[in-house]
Amino acid sequence: MARGILQASIQNRGLVLDPRTKLVMLFDIALFVLGSAGGGSVEPLVPILCAMPAVLMLSAKKWKGAATYLLVYLLSWLTYTQLVPLTKGAVNFILLGCSGMLSRFLPGIAMGGYLVSTTTVSEFTAVMLRLHLSEKIIIPLSVMFRFFPTVMDEAASINAAMRMRGIYMGGKNVGKMLEYRLVPLMTCCVKIGEELSAAALTRGLGGEAKRTNICKIGFHIQDYLLFVVCLIPYAVWIMGRVL
Amino acid sequence: MIEIKKVSFQHENAEKPSLKNVSLTIAEGECVLLCGESGSGKTTVTRLINGLIPHFYEGKMEGCAMVNGLNVTEAELYDTARIVGSVFQNPRSQFFCVDTTSELAFGCENMGMLEDEILSRVDEAARELNIEKLLGRSIFELSGGEKQKISCASVSALRPEVMVLDEPTSNLDVHAIEELKQTLLGWKAEGKTIVIAEHRLSWLRDLCDRVICMKDGQVAFDLSMQAFAQYSTEQLHQMGLRSLRDEKIAPVQNSVPETETMQLQNFCFSYDGTPVLNIPHLSLPLDGIIALVGPNGAGKSTFSRCLCGLEKKFKGQVKINGQLWKNKQLLKNCYMVMQDVNHQLFCETVADEVQLGMRSENSSDVERVLEMLDLSHLRERHPMSLSGGQKQRVAIASAILAGKEILIFDEPTSGLDFRHMEQTAALLSSLKGNQTVLIVTHDPELIQRCCDHIVCIENGTVI
Repeated sequence: MARGILQASIQNRGLVLDPRTKLVMLFDIALFVLGSAGGGSVEPLVPILCAMPAVLMLSAKKWKGAATYLLVYLLSWLTYTQLVPLTKGAVNFILLGCSGMLSRFLPGIAMGGYLVSTTTVSEFTAVMLRLHLSEKIIIPLSVMFRFFPTVMDEAASINAAMRMRGIYMGGKNVGKMLEYRLVPLMTCCVKIGEELSAAALTRGLGGEAKRTNICKIGFHIQDYLLFVVCLIPYAVWIMGRVL
Repeated sequence: MIEIKKVSFQHENAEKPSLKNVSLTIAEGECVLLCGESGSGKTTVTRLINGLIPHFYEGKMEGCAMVNGLNVTEAELYDTARIVGSVFQNPRSQFFCVDTTSELAFGCENMGMLEDEILSRVDEAARELNIEKLLGRSIFELSGGEKQKISCASVSALRPEVMVLDEPTSNLDVHAIEELKQTLLGWKAEGKTIVIAEHRLSWLRDLCDRVICMKDGQVAFDLSMQAFAQYSTEQLHQMGLRSLRDEKIAPVQNSVPETETMQLQNFCFSYDGTPVLNIPHLSLPLDGIIALVGPNGAGKSTFSRCLCGLEKKFKGQVKINGQLWKNKQLLKNCYMVMQDVNHQLFCETVADEVQLGMRSENSSDVERVLEMLDLSHLRERHPMSLSGGQKQRVAIASAILAGKEILIFDEPTSGLDFRHMEQTAALLSSLKGNQTVLIVTHDPELIQRCCDHIVCIENGTVI
């Protein structure tokens, strides 16, 4: 089973960052790359922010992810800056749309991908506790993350079953594919969800005691360094305004 | 330690009660086996003890259950959780966390214990069950047996006085069952009270001291293990129970007839560079019933997936009747009946379901197959509303009607009592001669009843 959302393994994960640092970085990228806040004065810094997801993925030993991201991003950026001015009409329009969207959205998506693939559910819950969020939000969220891999597992089995029955893209019954997929998926998920809740309840979830969390989160030197990187665009922005 | 006082219980939406006026007393340190057919009420008893009934599974209830002086029928589940630990059947759905260490700590965290206390308990539970090397791993990387160990350890970390296990071995191979037995022996030595609801009895022979057999929601008999062991296998079968003897996989006649075989060639496969299957050549009897055995994680399921043409990168082929089947033809001609049949039923009625994969509409064929599998009277029912055995038959019917030559069954009898197991065996035997049937199984009694050839896979190769 491939690792998905918040399913990081604790072994061999490279440089470990506090989830809060990752969140701040994600916010930075969303604000300055996607939202292009700050205008002209911050713009020279955007490439640095865009490179951050790749650097972080490398630090977490995600070679493939980093390479893919760099390649796709560079391609769309080159198209945007080099190819687009050379074209005209509909081609220009399509290229501009695609490459413009990609180069703006991609860093945010890659950073989000890094965040969820290098954080475990327990770290995530620990952080939310630290941020003083209510357990009413934390418990459903952590159940949801716990549920993703299960749902994907189930979906894979159902997919296999469908292929053995000759239901696939291009076969007959294409129109009903969605229904065929969803009905068994929902049945299985409901069943697993019920068993899961029963198991959790017999181990005392939902008690009056305040939950402890043994997960060690905290800021290290690498977190402080990244915070500095995150702060630079704000500083430049404010200075651009003042001066 | 445990006292069940005149309990009757009927699940919501159920037609008849699951327990009728049951009273039981279990002393401290006793190890009790709850046996009986499916639906006899043994799972209900375990749920009474851990409080899931009436707090989670709702219904009409009379009487009450006391554990160590606590009225678990009235107490909140998180209070019961301190004294009763539960291990369930399906390792897939009893983990709340995604990595093993947090899973072990989960119960203690819920109790709001101090961090140091939790860490020392986690270490101790891991040492006790000898699973230190499993700590810090992702749950999804573990085998079924390892998962069951983690769930035992996570219960152990809470140090409850009572352990309740509901069919813990359904998904385990012989080796993993042996390890589970060692864990339970450890608990017994510590003086914990253990209640196990199980179909497979042989592994509990030297473990339990008392046997309670349930029938139709009542206690049929309550004996010491010594007295229970006097029953002959036939008597047990008559009561709908599995054998208590250690059933070894009997060496069935294993010569492959020269004529009528299919040749499997180049059955090799690896996931992300790790080879999991390496069978250069294998011949199997055509139209026979073949058992596929081997420990968990030996490559049985990869073998089945390859044979069904589900692995796109798989390069092997099957030579059958002078034809050569590759992935595409395999997908067309082979069919796997999965352990969870719910994954492969898609339509609104049984009749639609079985006709879904048919290449040409032919109502007389449909009629014949439905008749053969005893499904005619169910043709207008929704497949999801059927019982487990009926669903299994619908899946088989759809495979036969789709013209599949090879049927593969993944653990068709896991979690079945004697009677249902025998029904499945009869059903599989009836397919003999028309289809080649492969059964992936850990169930020696099933093999004994219907298989005529055994293939043992270990470490990805046939031995």
